[in-house]
Amino acid sequence: MRIVAVTACPTGVAHTYMAAEQLEQTARALGHSIKVETQGAMGIENELSQADVDAADAAIIAADISIEQPERFSRIRKIEVPVHAVLKDPGALFARL
Amino acid sequence: MARDCAFVCQLASGFHARPASALEQATRRFAAELTLHNERTGALANAKSVLGIVGLDIRHGDGCRIVCEGPDEYEAAEALTRFVTDELLRADAAMPPVPSSAALPLPRLLEQAHATVLRGSPVVRGIGHGGAMRVHGFVIPEPLVSARTDDPHAEWERLQDALRALDAQYEAELAVDGTGVAAEVLRAHQAIARDPALAEHLQRSVRQHQLGAAGAIVAAEANFAAMLAASESAPLRERALDVRDVCRQLFEAMYGANHASAPRPLTCDTVCIAENLTPREFLSLDRRFLQGLVLEHAAATSHTIVLARSFGVPTLSGVAGLRATVSDGDDVTVDADLGVLVTRGNAATRRYYAMERARIAGRRERLLRAAAKPAATSDGRIVEIGVNVATGAEAAAAVSAGADGIGLFRTELLFMHRGDAPSEDEQFEDYRRALAGAAGKPVIIRTLDIGGDKPIAYLRLPREENPFLGFRAVRMYARFEDVVRTQLRALVRASAFGNLKVMVPMVSRLDEAEYVRRLISEEQARCAAAGVAFDASMQVGAMVEVPSMAYQMAQFSRVFDFFSIGTNDLLQYFSAVDRGNQTVAHLHDPLSPAFLQLLRQIVDGAHAAGRWVGMCGELAGDAQALPLLVGLGLDELSMAASRVAETKAAVQSLGAAQCRALVATAIECATSRDVAAAVESFDGWRPVPLITPDLVVVDADCDSREEAIKAVVDRLYVTGRTDHPRDVEAAVWQREAVYSTAFGHGFAIPHCQSDALKANSLVILRTRQPVAWESLDGQPVSVLLLLAIRSAEHATAHLKILASLSRKLMHASTREQVLCEQDPAALCRYLMECVGE
Repeated sequence: MRIVAVTACPTGVAHTYMAAEQLEQTARALGHSIKVETQGAMGIENELSQADVDAADAAIIAADISIEQPERFSRIRKIEVPVHAVLKDPGALFARL
Repeated sequence: MARDCAFVCQLASGFHARPASALEQATRRFAAELTLHNERTGALANAKSVLGIVGLDIRHGDGCRIVCEGPDEYEAAEALTRFVTDELLRADAAMPPVPSSAALPLPRLLEQAHATVLRGSPVVRGIGHGGAMRVHGFVIPEPLVSARTDDPHAEWERLQDALRALDAQYEAELAVDGTGVAAEVLRAHQAIARDPALAEHLQRSVRQHQLGAAGAIVAAEANFAAMLAASESAPLRERALDVRDVCRQLFEAMYGANHASAPRPLTCDTVCIAENLTPREFLSLDRRFLQGLVLEHAAATSHTIVLARSFGVPTLSGVAGLRATVSDGDDVTVDADLGVLVTRGNAATRRYYAMERARIAGRRERLLRAAAKPAATSDGRIVEIGVNVATGAEAAAAVSAGADGIGLFRTELLFMHRGDAPSEDEQFEDYRRALAGAAGKPVIIRTLDIGGDKPIAYLRLPREENPFLGFRAVRMYARFEDVVRTQLRALVRASAFGNLKVMVPMVSRLDEAEYVRRLISEEQARCAAAGVAFDASMQVGAMVEVPSMAYQMAQFSRVFDFFSIGTNDLLQYFSAVDRGNQTVAHLHDPLSPAFLQLLRQIVDGAHAAGRWVGMCGELAGDAQALPLLVGLGLDELSMAASRVAETKAAVQSLGAAQCRALVATAIECATSRDVAAAVESFDGWRPVPLITPDLVVVDADCDSREEAIKAVVDRLYVTGRTDHPRDVEAAVWQREAVYSTAFGHGFAIPHCQSDALKANSLVILRTRQPVAWESLDGQPVSVLLLLAIRSAEHATAHLKILASLSRKLMHASTREQVLCEQDPAALCRYLMECVGE
């Protein structure tokens, strides 16, 4: 499966990146391909283009705050969760895809 | 016919005790009767009586008049007019600042300790712990108070004898130690004991009302205390304690000390609790055991508080409900940083305060370590850091606190408050004590700097219109050559006992310089002839206080071996501003570009002639100005002992080249506001790495999530990365409130962004036993990584590191390494490698 994801936590210092790393690790283990955009204190990194999103099968929005440019995900099947859900049980999250 | 001197009271806190005693001193030498009127209230009093003046309750803005009547009424009115316009405001030097008493929220740990806590105003900062002891002021026994006298004449004679004995006792105590805060208080008390209003009141009670001496003393105390208590001004109300003290002393002088119920002696660490305490009652407490002071009364400026501050006894005032809550022997803690008294401590409060003590001690040790090393900038420029002292006895403590020497020993105190000049031997002993205390480090002793503003009675100096521009310091040496020669001889003799340098104040002309050098050579020749040892290579230098000197540094350098800039006088003469004059004090501005240019001219001039140059004025200890002072190229800075360690640590984190660039920028600025802005945005501080081995703790004893968070934040305080640990902790908890940062596997990454930080930091703490935490996987936590960021805009590089570290923590191998590494330095190295720094 091709997955796109966005992570964004309140301070943008730690959890944004921990969640991103966790998503990448889990996807790899389950044999999915994934691209994760981080929205942290340093701004948007590894930004997802509209083409990236359109080419994907599903999106994961792991955010505790409202994310930048949410309109990119208006046409895709998506799961929205708080950041800590990714850290707590990534397996369960991917099972919902 | 009477003469008048009318004025408006400009004293911000009214006519309180100090200006009143200044006025009383100014009136004393006149024979005329002098009556002070308060035009607002219509009340009048004897202007030669401090209590009388104080009792008039003269406030800021009140119209006043002194009516002079008698043989020298003309001179009196003249002199007093000059006094109230020129000198009165100076007698109102600022009281030590009273820290704000706004109630801070209790720290989380203290809140959870469920301890009984009373709030108060912190008046002397610090934390003290011990057994509570209630101190009651002594009470004159009732039978003595109500006793009457059948021989009023003899009774009054006895009271007069007691007043004289008390005066002599104050005199004797002052002769033992005439310096410091305690002596100032003694002098204030002596003035009350000498006050004619007190004597008059006592006499009336005895002779008209047939009261016994004890009754008269109690009546006088009640009268003056009530008078002061009715005053609008808080400093005045607190003078009632001084009156009480003097009356108790008088009682003792009359009846002996055995009637007095003195406080019990302290035998172990004690926190004294009192409704109020007089200065003498305070001084009678054994300070080896006195850990704290708690006053029910809302005192802030009393002499008792001034004393407590000078001895560093943590003190709270205005604590309500003491009597109902605290009993003798209770285990209590005075926290005068937070403004609370913790009554009935428990295991939790004891743990909290053990952490607090460790935090404060850790910071102090770290500063002392910095002070033990030379103040060298990162590019190797060394600045000597000296201390200013007024007595030889202070030298040893200053040097053991890390000072590189004594940068200024003011000798005036040796000459003041006494009937004649100190002998050569007396001076020699004090200078030698300073040299012994300094243990081989340089001691710069300034020759006599007196004049119109620091009067010395036995020299009979003329009164001057403008003493600062008049007959003072080196300018009067020729007239008082015998006094000066005696001092120089004592200095020449002392020079054999250490590294002594002599410094001459207020030099403005070359002939003055040559004159003093000649006197020194002559005294050295006399010592040589008499076979007395001395140091022939003793350096002689000059204070740079008169701006004209800046233009002749080359010429003065032929006479003097070194220079030290006295910024207070130099700036006052340079900018034509008397900073004691409140209407122009704001113009006294050491950061003005013009003054910086003058300083640069002096330093460059001295260096061009091969002389070293230091600074011993107030500016030398100013933390904000430090990069400028280093940039100017000053070789030495001399300051209050309390500033030494921090200044040394600060110099060690500066780059001299960047400081020089800052000075070049500052001198081109248009205003001092621009200078301040340039200093504010100065970036010549040595970059502080995100993590250093002293931010790694591998074996912390923590019981709870709260303790663990306090422990990581306290590390930032100990290492000097924040001065406000409570603010940082609050920011961390604010983040924890959103959701727990314990992400599982026994790890937590508390983090915050706060202006209270001085540098972006990463702290690692491993707890001895896992602590409960609302973690995502329900497991307790044994590793904390605190990510503390100053502000996101200036931290991109550090944010990248933290992001990369956060990702790494998702890997079991990283967590394994962090959990197992025993050596803090290795753990620090591993983390830095791990994030590629």
